[in-house]
Amino acid sequence: MAVTQQEASARRGWRRRDRRGTAGLLAGPLIWLLLFFVIPVAFVAAYSVGAVDLFPTDPGVVSLASWQRLLTGGSVYMGLFWKSIRMSLTVSAIVVLLAYPTGYFLALCVGRRKYVLLLLIIAPFLTSYLLRVLAWKVILGDAGVINSFLSWTGMQSPDDPITWFLYSRFTVMLVLAYIWVPFVALPVFVSLDKLDKSLLEAASDLGASRWRTFVRVTLPLSLSGVFAAFLFVFIPTIGEFVTPLLVGGTSGYMYGNSIQDLFTKGLDWQTGSTLALFLLGVVAVLMAAFGRFLRVRAVVA
Amino acid sequence: MIRAIIPARTTTRGEAVMVEKRFTREVGRRDFLRYAGYAGMSVSMAGVLAACRDADTPSGGSSGSVKASIPPIEQEPGGLQVFDWSGYGNGDYYPKEEKKFLWGQYAKATGDTPEFALFENDDSAYTKVVAGARYDVAHPCGYRYGDWVDLGVMQPWDTSLISNFPSLNPKLMAAGQFDGQQYFVPMDWGFIAPLVNLDHVDGSDETFGVLFDERYKGKIAWIDTLNMMVVAGYTLGIENPWDMSDEELAEVRDFLVSKKGLVRFYWNQSYDFWLAFKKGEVWAGYSWPDTVGYADAAGMNYLYMQPKEGRISWVCGLGLFADTENYRHAHEYANSWASKEAAEFLLAYYYYGHTNTEADPSVVPDGVRTALGLDDPTVLDEPKAHPETHIPRRSIYQQYWSEVQAA
Repeated sequence: MAVTQQEASARRGWRRRDRRGTAGLLAGPLIWLLLFFVIPVAFVAAYSVGAVDLFPTDPGVVSLASWQRLLTGGSVYMGLFWKSIRMSLTVSAIVVLLAYPTGYFLALCVGRRKYVLLLLIIAPFLTSYLLRVLAWKVILGDAGVINSFLSWTGMQSPDDPITWFLYSRFTVMLVLAYIWVPFVALPVFVSLDKLDKSLLEAASDLGASRWRTFVRVTLPLSLSGVFAAFLFVFIPTIGEFVTPLLVGGTSGYMYGNSIQDLFTKGLDWQTGSTLALFLLGVVAVLMAAFGRFLRVRAVVA
Repeated sequence: MIRAIIPARTTTRGEAVMVEKRFTREVGRRDFLRYAGYAGMSVSMAGVLAACRDADTPSGGSSGSVKASIPPIEQEPGGLQVFDWSGYGNGDYYPKEEKKFLWGQYAKATGDTPEFALFENDDSAYTKVVAGARYDVAHPCGYRYGDWVDLGVMQPWDTSLISNFPSLNPKLMAAGQFDGQQYFVPMDWGFIAPLVNLDHVDGSDETFGVLFDERYKGKIAWIDTLNMMVVAGYTLGIENPWDMSDEELAEVRDFLVSKKGLVRFYWNQSYDFWLAFKKGEVWAGYSWPDTVGYADAAGMNYLYMQPKEGRISWVCGLGLFADTENYRHAHEYANSWASKEAAEFLLAYYYYGHTNTEADPSVVPDGVRTALGLDDPTVLDEPKAHPETHIPRRSIYQQYWSEVQAA
């Protein structure tokens, strides 16, 4: 209120310079996003309505037919989409349940060596994704490690191995969970690591049991990390296609596989683009919804 | 020139109409070129038409003029770009032998080392070229040749520059000819048929039906492409499984959906199928000849069926891009591939046939030779084998096949 003329103009000048600096700093990333995200997505959108033709067999008319087919329920792809959502939700829930204790242990129980251990947990990321998926074939196959063990112990006849271990929906979810656990342990670890330890001391000073401290203090304060972790798994796994391709068999086929097949084998880029864009839209909506939720959580915390 | 090609490909019902429709937008320009050509090639058009000349004149008459207009090999840049399957020269399977047998002669003749770009299947290869990728030479399979030629990105070979060409089976060369021109030189061929493990599967009834047999639940492998629609079509006795009507497609889809529960997995790489076949994870599968060779070498008790519906035969071969700067290099490369040595390499290492008739089939183990019928000159003829054919309504097939996979 009691700002002098001079001060005000100085502040305006600062703001102008500041704004120019901000624009300069943002230009790089913005141009990058424009070139490598916005424009390609616009192209995909153009494909999805037939505005751009690629193949001589394309109809060459602009129409919303493929969107209509997808959204009016008659499409086989919608069922596949819900199946993929269900699988991703299951995987995400399992992964978070597995990763939380790991993050908890690292952040609160291990002393000085926690970063070394964290590095060890992330180490599998240094090996090839394909290799990690293919290793499961060796473990789960009919003559694989588990089936051999079962027949060796006599629990299962060697002529009748458990076949649903490999090439099934179960396999896809198992492998996806395995692959994402270390990635998810990270945000959980971070949220627990920055937890103010004096709160835990205060809780115990006030007579709370360890379980009660966890439920009333630790868990609520780390929830933002848990949600971030959940999204970390959920979003990429809905569109997953490599793992189902390698170990999914006939029942592990996912939404991402149909997008890949439409682009590379079916040569129907219009439907493929529609499916891809629909997925992008759903993920964007989820991000918007969860993002707000996350921020509210952070404020409450 | 495209207009002239269409009649050659309008063998299947309804295709003529479709092709006609497909090209409506381009026909105007092409007709213009054609009529301008008839009108005596005005000076201003001569440059444009020069590009089409190779295609428009019969190969015999053109070879002289082509040779005159194409610079000698020393003036070409080299570094031949080859767009091919994995293991066909890039060294994925046999680093030394692929180089020695498939393009050793080329390297000797030109001093050049080709560079390889790989594709996984015919559809992705075609997609990439449609999207704008260009190379010097590509190696797609016969049922897609027409699509490549239609794109207008290929030019015919000058077969007089391929000294091994007269050794190639003329009957099989027809697959690569469009408008009397050799746009593709077919080289490798093989089959699609069921391969079964006789320790577990009854081999007395040879049929594609074994891939849909309830007795072998959980022990069957299908290929991960819409070719399964065609195989099911043959099994159900549909007259032309390469061009099915909506009702026929729906019938095939329902059939496949009802049998899907029997299938352990769909294979993408034939080697994956082989590993599962060897380990006993599957007993019967859609198979190419390479897996037959591996099974034979492993001493397995197998049968590569000659199904009563007929096998499906495929042939693949080299095509030449229209804008290549390595015209003579490319011909040397094709010559190398067409050689007896290359043919015997394919036979001995991959158990694939080759169109070179001088190749000695005895390089293939007896068991495999019998299984593939290499000593039978009619093995590729109807009704023993149906050539893999262009599917005009491919995206519709894909929709039905997606419904099978998603079911």
